[in-house]
Amino acid sequence: MTGYIRANTVEEAVAALAAGARPIAGGTDLVVGARQGKQSLPDALVGIHRIPGLGAITETDAGIDLGTLVSHAAIVSHPAIRERYTALADASVLVGSHATRAQGTLGGNVMHASPAMDTGAPLLCLGGTATFATPSGDRTTDLVDLWTGPGETTAGPDELLVAVHLPASAQATGSAYVRLQYRRHMEIAVVGAAAAVILDGGAVTRAAIAITALAPVIRRVESAEQALTGTSGGAPAVEAAAQAAADAARPIDDVRASATYRRAMAAVVTRRAVQAAIARARGEEIPIPATESTQGSWR
Amino acid sequence: MTMAPERTPFIRSDGKEKVTGAGRYTADLNLTGQLHAKFRYADHPHARILSIDTAAARALPGVFAVLTWEDVPDVLYGGSVNDRRLFAKEKVRWEGDIVAAVAARTADLAAEAAGLIDVRYEVLPPLTDFAANAEADAQLVHEAWADYEADENLGLSGNILGHSSIVKGDADAAMAGADVVVKSRYVADASQGAPIEPRAIVADWQGDKVTVWSSTQVPFAARSGIAHTLNIPESQVRIIVPLLGGGFGSKCDFHFEAHVAALARATRRPVKLVFSRREEFLAPDHRREGMIIELETGASRDGRLVARRGRLILDKGAYCGEGGFFAQMAAMHACGPYQIDAVNVDSYLNYSNQQPSGSIRAPTAPQACWALEQHMDELAAALEMDPAELRRRTLIGEGDEGPAGQVFEEIGAKQTLEAALDMIGYGRELPEDEAIGVACGWWPSFGVPSGAYVKLNRDGTGTIVTGAMESGTGAVMGLPLLAAEALGMKAEDFSILYQDTDAGPWDMGSSGSQTTFNNGRAVVEAATEVREKLLDLAADDLEVSRDDLVLADGTLSVKGSPDSSVTIATLAGSGEPILGKGSGDVPEAPAVDASGCVGRLGLESFLAPQLITQAARVKLDRDTGVIRVLEVAAAHDSGVIVNRIGADGQVYGGVLMGIGQALSEATWFDDEGRQLNPGLLDYKLQTASDAPEINIRWVEIDTPNAGPNGGKGVGEPPSVPTPGAIGNAIAKLVGRPIDRLPMTPERVWEAIHGGPEE
Repeated sequence: MTGYIRANTVEEAVAALAAGARPIAGGTDLVVGARQGKQSLPDALVGIHRIPGLGAITETDAGIDLGTLVSHAAIVSHPAIRERYTALADASVLVGSHATRAQGTLGGNVMHASPAMDTGAPLLCLGGTATFATPSGDRTTDLVDLWTGPGETTAGPDELLVAVHLPASAQATGSAYVRLQYRRHMEIAVVGAAAAVILDGGAVTRAAIAITALAPVIRRVESAEQALTGTSGGAPAVEAAAQAAADAARPIDDVRASATYRRAMAAVVTRRAVQAAIARARGEEIPIPATESTQGSWR
Repeated sequence: MTMAPERTPFIRSDGKEKVTGAGRYTADLNLTGQLHAKFRYADHPHARILSIDTAAARALPGVFAVLTWEDVPDVLYGGSVNDRRLFAKEKVRWEGDIVAAVAARTADLAAEAAGLIDVRYEVLPPLTDFAANAEADAQLVHEAWADYEADENLGLSGNILGHSSIVKGDADAAMAGADVVVKSRYVADASQGAPIEPRAIVADWQGDKVTVWSSTQVPFAARSGIAHTLNIPESQVRIIVPLLGGGFGSKCDFHFEAHVAALARATRRPVKLVFSRREEFLAPDHRREGMIIELETGASRDGRLVARRGRLILDKGAYCGEGGFFAQMAAMHACGPYQIDAVNVDSYLNYSNQQPSGSIRAPTAPQACWALEQHMDELAAALEMDPAELRRRTLIGEGDEGPAGQVFEEIGAKQTLEAALDMIGYGRELPEDEAIGVACGWWPSFGVPSGAYVKLNRDGTGTIVTGAMESGTGAVMGLPLLAAEALGMKAEDFSILYQDTDAGPWDMGSSGSQTTFNNGRAVVEAATEVREKLLDLAADDLEVSRDDLVLADGTLSVKGSPDSSVTIATLAGSGEPILGKGSGDVPEAPAVDASGCVGRLGLESFLAPQLITQAARVKLDRDTGVIRVLEVAAAHDSGVIVNRIGADGQVYGGVLMGIGQALSEATWFDDEGRQLNPGLLDYKLQTASDAPEINIRWVEIDTPNAGPNGGKGVGEPPSVPTPGAIGNAIAKLVGRPIDRLPMTPERVWEAIHGGPEE
């Protein structure tokens, strides 16, 4: 029998988690998954969707804080995210359907830990950290240390993700997320990549590149970043970074695509994400989502 | 070409309730005391059943009945071949075969109980290679095929359910004499109807009569199926269809109604079955057939088609159902609406351990047309002729001969070609990543009996009582236009009583694009009888001769003296019953001497064929192989159109379904015959965001020997040539045709980049 309580505070939620409950907010993974017979609902659920304060997007000198209940739709429409954390907007606008984006939360997406999650690669490239409320106080971890496998994280069962923090971005930062999609809407990432670059005097001084649905977890690709860093971001460097991302991929063969195609597409989406990130860093207009604006004969 | 009478666009009366969510569908229905049904499906796609132990399931509290083959009459049923039982007995033959059914207090309990049934099997090698299944030493899907009751024209033999040929002249000799010969081989994957409403059934017995509410496209076939399999008279079965949430053919045929009725009888309670989305993919014995299409055409330098040879192999899956005619239908589509001097096309319909194929919107046509139309473009290239010009020279016209010798009456094939080329701007300059492809197709009309009543109500409105079925196409919703036209009334004045087998006369149902064609004729005849009665009554009332009366705007008035009149409401309000009934004469396909053809099932001659040309402008992302369809021009000869707004809606939907079949929709199976993508995440329908600009032109020919007022049908044809048009556009961009359907991004990318690395 499934039990359900609704938490009014973070403390109540953490106490419920410690007693064995699983958190639920938008329900777009948990409820839909149960209906599809993927896994039944947990025996005990704690609703966290009414906890005050967890749905806020807050800008500070240190960066931007995204409460765990922030919806994908809220991310997409936030001016600061669109301007300075553009890759996250590129990704959030692609998640599921209109209904999923209105209902689904960033916290749910992060903790579901799917290797195909769209927001994961942008968050990694933008240096995201996650803050958990735990019975022994708050704990913060780099997102890169959070995901360990499909559906698996380093978070304990009594830890509640309360916020994701992205550090302040430097001047001339540009970021983008691009995924392969077979149709225009209602898609899942078959292959995706995010890039964030900082330019200084025409040179790439910092590059972050992460790949989606190409390994058991969303992961940064250092070799790709190294191929780009210190260059002018011209075609040879971009191509080298794209190839490095493809080489780092551990693609699977399944009904969505063959491993061969996935690896080839890893290079394509990485190239497009890097190109779009560089273009944005230079102040060029690449409309959100970059997936659509870099499609076809773009560059 | 004649033009239709000017008609005001008519908004269907069921639109508002459907759009606002007020409409009631079968799953919305709940009866007091009802139980919930679940099925236990086959655990292996091909296995011999050794034993079935239901004890644990029966012992679960809240379970009211568990049924297997032992609990129902031992009856074989099917369409052209009676090859299956309600519950698998000796063998399971595909993953959706039903082994047992459970009724329990809740759906969850029923599912739990279904899982507790202990079925022991001897697992057999899955016979999933439908082409290899025809080989002489192949193991059999149905060992007892020779004992089955079957349509003898099919040529059922072992794993070959049907073999048809279309033969005219000496194709071998003609081929040998051709200037240019082109050979092609294409393979189409299976796909689905994928209605958004998963099917639902509620059964309730009162005494020895059962009422079944079902989301079916064919209520009368469902009634016959229940009566046959449960061994009760048809008169004891009533089928009611609440609003239907789409079918696209997949809800044709008798499916699960008898299982639910049997559960309701065993439990003496109403029983309800509602499919999950996953079941909606796995369980229906209905999907679009996989197909291998080999074509060879010989032509003279000036583009005359002197010979066509072809060999088609279709995957029938585990059971026949209503799809016995597929081999012959596919063979006709491998010929297409072209003048060909000599023809020899062989077509085989083979059993396999896959989901049974059944009619999905224009069964066999989109795949065969996709192959033929790409083949025609290959031929045009070999002739160094523009593909549109090749079609212009070879499409059929009045007086021309069809594939098996049929001589056509007035027909709009060539007009549809010119209209589509004009709409799309054929030949214009395009960006290097865009191209336009053109494809032509056809689809027969089906003349079948159909009936309707029209009665006038005391307030001067009318009611149409019909056996016709509305699957969302608007065909039934458009019937009031025909009645109103005959009676000088407004279409809005009519209500419709339909989708109840105890009300309207027998009807084939929402299949074969035949509702307007046949039931429209019946409604016109019924309304005409009402008109006659009105004229009699008014002549009496006004003391004039009938010949002096005019019926218009709800009033009968005397010619030349409009003040001398009586309204329909006045006449109907007297209480005098004003009724009409109709069926009309069923049109028949022209007779042909097709003595050279085998497997003749009546499709060697197409009655009042509907002709289509579509042109598609597509854009290729060369790096990924992703194709976007930007524009489709659709030109149709469906005869005279009854309701333009409804007909246009069929084209919009059909083209979008055609784009899905072209690019993204496929059911893929693993080596054992299990579906790999039974859900809407990985079975990729096109979304509203993917819809291109669709422009439509109707070539309205007042078609002889057709439906009411020279109309034909329009439900199925719009999706016939769409994959071919898109394929021809892709081939221009890629440099060669994509030989697999759907033409997924990966397949297009492989064609560009030289195939997968090993």
